[in-house]
Amino acid sequence: MMLAVAFGQLALVHYLLLSGVLFTVGLVGFLCRRNLIVMFLCTELMFQAAGIAFVAAGRYYFDFSGQVFVIFILTVAAAEAALALALVVLLYRRRPSLNAEDWRDLRE
Amino acid sequence: MDGVLPYIECFALLASLYLLLGRGSRATRALGILGGLGSLAWIYVAAGESIIGGEGVGREVLFMIFGVIAVSAAVRMITHSRPVYSAIYFVFVVLSSAGLFLLLEAEFMAFALVIVYAGAVLITYMFVLMLAQQASSPDNITEAPEYDRVAREPAAAVTVGFIFLTAVFGAIYQGVDRLPPPAGEIEKNIARAEVLESLTKQLRSSIEEVEPSFQWPPEADGNQNIVFADDEGIYVIGKTDAGDHQTVRLGTSAGPRNTQFVGWDLVGRFPASLELAGVILLLAMFGAVILARRQIEHGEDDLRAAVGMTRLFDYEEDDSSDEEGSSA
Repeated sequence: MMLAVAFGQLALVHYLLLSGVLFTVGLVGFLCRRNLIVMFLCTELMFQAAGIAFVAAGRYYFDFSGQVFVIFILTVAAAEAALALALVVLLYRRRPSLNAEDWRDLRE
Repeated sequence: MDGVLPYIECFALLASLYLLLGRGSRATRALGILGGLGSLAWIYVAAGESIIGGEGVGREVLFMIFGVIAVSAAVRMITHSRPVYSAIYFVFVVLSSAGLFLLLEAEFMAFALVIVYAGAVLITYMFVLMLAQQASSPDNITEAPEYDRVAREPAAAVTVGFIFLTAVFGAIYQGVDRLPPPAGEIEKNIARAEVLESLTKQLRSSIEEVEPSFQWPPEADGNQNIVFADDEGIYVIGKTDAGDHQTVRLGTSAGPRNTQFVGWDLVGRFPASLELAGVILLLAMFGAVILARRQIEHGEDDLRAAVGMTRLFDYEEDDSSDEEGSSA
């Protein structure tokens, strides 16, 4: 608690804006990258941004369920990474390419 | 807050992101970097102007450093043509957000983030990247393939990002004035006292530190110690050896630490979610094992070929035979 100086609205709005910017960068990356693995990395970036917002809001209200929620985000992110990468490995065995547009026939 | 300002900020930020995505000349990239940093600084300053408050200059400097590292590493991550470097830059994002968590006094989450994300998840990504890394062509193995070098629809993506970011900024700027006030000292101490009452061992040792003559454990006739709080500290009412009622004032430092709070909330308030998280991890493990396993039966591939279906593991097949296979 050494660092416990006033955590007023100034800091909260800054953390929320930073989290919004990070989330948007992740969103843009997800939309414009064509590499399957980098697209998943961008979803992880969006998880990060959400986590920052959760922890900042939890700190603002001295409520630790924000941090607890980040633990669940970590859980979901780990599970998502495992499943998504297993899927990528499966796809890569079928056709050795990471290009998302090579798999557009999956939608049929 | 000025009504138009958030939109201009978002536009500046995403316009520079567009310049960085476009793989243009060195000059446009430099312009994009300058514009991005400038608009970040603008957002920072505008946010500071809107609301007054907050202390601690060191904290703000650290916030700026971590924030700029996080955003620029994130931008580099989505613009770099080599996926492995993207993953490395993502490690930078994770580390700087761990630094932000430290600024927010969330020590446990900061280290958990470094261990789980930078340690475990990113290594998994690296494994798959190394496994599936491709060069642009067999003759030119140093250059990344075309789909990694050229962004897909950067203008549309940046437009979507602009719309999203203006919505978020507008909500933040308009809503932050109407937020309920932050937790004051009294609310914090009440929360500390509530958890401290249940952490018997810590309560006992901190009482003994302050007042050794305090009677412990609480008397057998059901006369429990009472823990309460005000804006100056946490108090415990109990009995002395002589049998008089006595109040002991514990400083706020006797309260539970961040990790104890998180653990208490996790187990005490969200036990079902905790078990659900365990189930999710277990199912993800099963799913990953089942998906990544080679699933064909012995001879299944030959059977599929005999009836005119696509062979499952024929790496040399071209797209035309694939089409025939799926239509058959």
